[in-house]
Amino acid sequence: MARKITIEPVTRVEGHGKVTIHLDDAGKVTQSRFHIVEFRGFERFVQGRPYWEAPVLVQRLCGICPVSHHLAAAKAMDVIVGVGPERLTPTAEKMRRLMHYGQMLQSHALHFFHLCAPDFLLGMDADPAIRNVIGIIALNKDLAVQAVLMRKFGQEVILATAGKKIHGTGAIPGGINKNLSPDERDQFLKGAPPLTIDQMIAWSQAAIELFKGYHGKNKDVVDGFAAFPSNHLSLVRKDGALDFYHGVLRAVDAEGRKVLDDMDYQDYTNFIGEEVRSWSYMKFPYIRSLGKSAGWYRVGPLARLNTCDHIPSPLAQKEFEVYKAYTAGKPNNMSLHTHWARLIELLHSAEVIKELLLDKDLQGTKLVKKGKKVPEGVGVVEAPRGTLFHHYRINDDDQITMANLIVSTTHNNEPMNRAVHWVAENVLAGKPEITEGMLNRVEVAIRAYDPCLSCATHALGHMPLEVVLRDSRNNILQRKVR
Amino acid sequence: MIGFGNPGRRDDGLGPAAAERLSARSIPGVVCDADYQLAIEDALACARHDTVIFIDAARGLRKPFTFTKVKAAAAIPPMSHALRPEAVLAIAAELYGRAPDARLLAIRGHDWAIGEGLTEKAEKNLALALDFLEDFLKGNRP
Repeated sequence: MARKITIEPVTRVEGHGKVTIHLDDAGKVTQSRFHIVEFRGFERFVQGRPYWEAPVLVQRLCGICPVSHHLAAAKAMDVIVGVGPERLTPTAEKMRRLMHYGQMLQSHALHFFHLCAPDFLLGMDADPAIRNVIGIIALNKDLAVQAVLMRKFGQEVILATAGKKIHGTGAIPGGINKNLSPDERDQFLKGAPPLTIDQMIAWSQAAIELFKGYHGKNKDVVDGFAAFPSNHLSLVRKDGALDFYHGVLRAVDAEGRKVLDDMDYQDYTNFIGEEVRSWSYMKFPYIRSLGKSAGWYRVGPLARLNTCDHIPSPLAQKEFEVYKAYTAGKPNNMSLHTHWARLIELLHSAEVIKELLLDKDLQGTKLVKKGKKVPEGVGVVEAPRGTLFHHYRINDDDQITMANLIVSTTHNNEPMNRAVHWVAENVLAGKPEITEGMLNRVEVAIRAYDPCLSCATHALGHMPLEVVLRDSRNNILQRKVR
Repeated sequence: MIGFGNPGRRDDGLGPAAAERLSARSIPGVVCDADYQLAIEDALACARHDTVIFIDAARGLRKPFTFTKVKAAAAIPPMSHALRPEAVLAIAAELYGRAPDARLLAIRGHDWAIGEGLTEKAEKNLALALDFLEDFLKGNRP
């Protein structure tokens, strides 16, 4: 009897996701799809609002990385007010960078310790009841303490630069609304231990060693799991360095050939297309020059370390060289190596935060610039999960008339589907019974991309994990709720 | 007091709205915080206080609000980077050996669509819930 497996929602990602795997009578995979919620409702929501409200409003897209949306919208509005992202005052740009790298630090730390480490340290077959941060506490309490404190440190950096957690107003069109006081700076540089930036750097290095230790003992799993060739896209600095806040777009193919380079993201519609497929609310972006079928790409940590030439901080650069040597300098197409890349970025973020904290420009008083207004602007940042586009048009009354957002998870739509398909074919196909461990492997494949499917509410009693096994007539054969 | 939820999802913003309004009442000894969702670092805040009150929007309630004790539960809910109050308390207990008196104020919401502002019904529920909570915080209720 043909079967259909549904996992809904996928656990430990933002928002709701649903995996459907169709098996035929022989247990062979005929189709696999990862369905996710979409953001278009929010794009309509901002229409009619004054443009200067966008950086605050869009934070509500996401409970886990509101700063990314805040900054991408602010960068688009920098263009609209005629200043542009490269003409901000040094204080404004560096405050925004501090905010952004603080977010990268807390988001990457949370993902590794809370979402990824349980799968690695406790095993993909471990009981779901303990395959989480509570299980990590039992196994390695120090690691869990580090997780909490790295999150806390990153959140404090965001608070000092953006203001409130929910209504952050730090970045405004053309600049920033505050600088960093010496007291705030000193809190991060030499505050009460262990909440200091030097400790964050040390813990980031330890996390990389932890991953490398696991990798060394489990190369078959880490290297082979959901590995497939793809293109990779991200911002890079003009000189090719890794940069999360600003740069030009670059894409490389699976062999490392540049398929886009030095592209101004203001013109992104000329080289990035968005395909609509009937079965998914979410679009499938692609590089126009490669076409719809071959132009899909990955974004995020794995992609960023494939597109950039070097990392502009010494400790992360050293780790980058080890990482690149593993693939002999070629692009890394192994999904689980995303975690390795993420940890190198975690270290880089901590190093950049320290560099910024030591920069006196953060105490500057020139916060905002003005220019001649234009009706359209695009803002792009490298969010924790990958490249984030915000594109707006306004009318003569300063109201937003059009908004187009391409979020990291949308860029990774096709790669996540490929990863799910890999698990379906290599783990689930032909098995008489679907176990928890098998289902978790589906989730492990998706979690490597750390998708952020936010915009789902989380009201009490409304977030079950339901796993349903159906036959070809849609009858339920097996149902699990976690 | 930690109010959590997304103000960009209408009544899902009941938690942050409660935090904001309770903060404005300046009740001695009460620290108010608000966020989109609970995460692991909230365990540290819980460990540093004697009493913790979580405030969240709720669907399916028949009353304007409920106020219940919350106990630590090690099971992490099957979703996302976000945690349930029980899991935050479990992390506080396991990591810091602290078990504050914890309550959940669940306030009935009615509309969860994208948009700003609470519905009229949710506003009424919030007002009732906050009056009750203020009484509790001043020691007038068990």
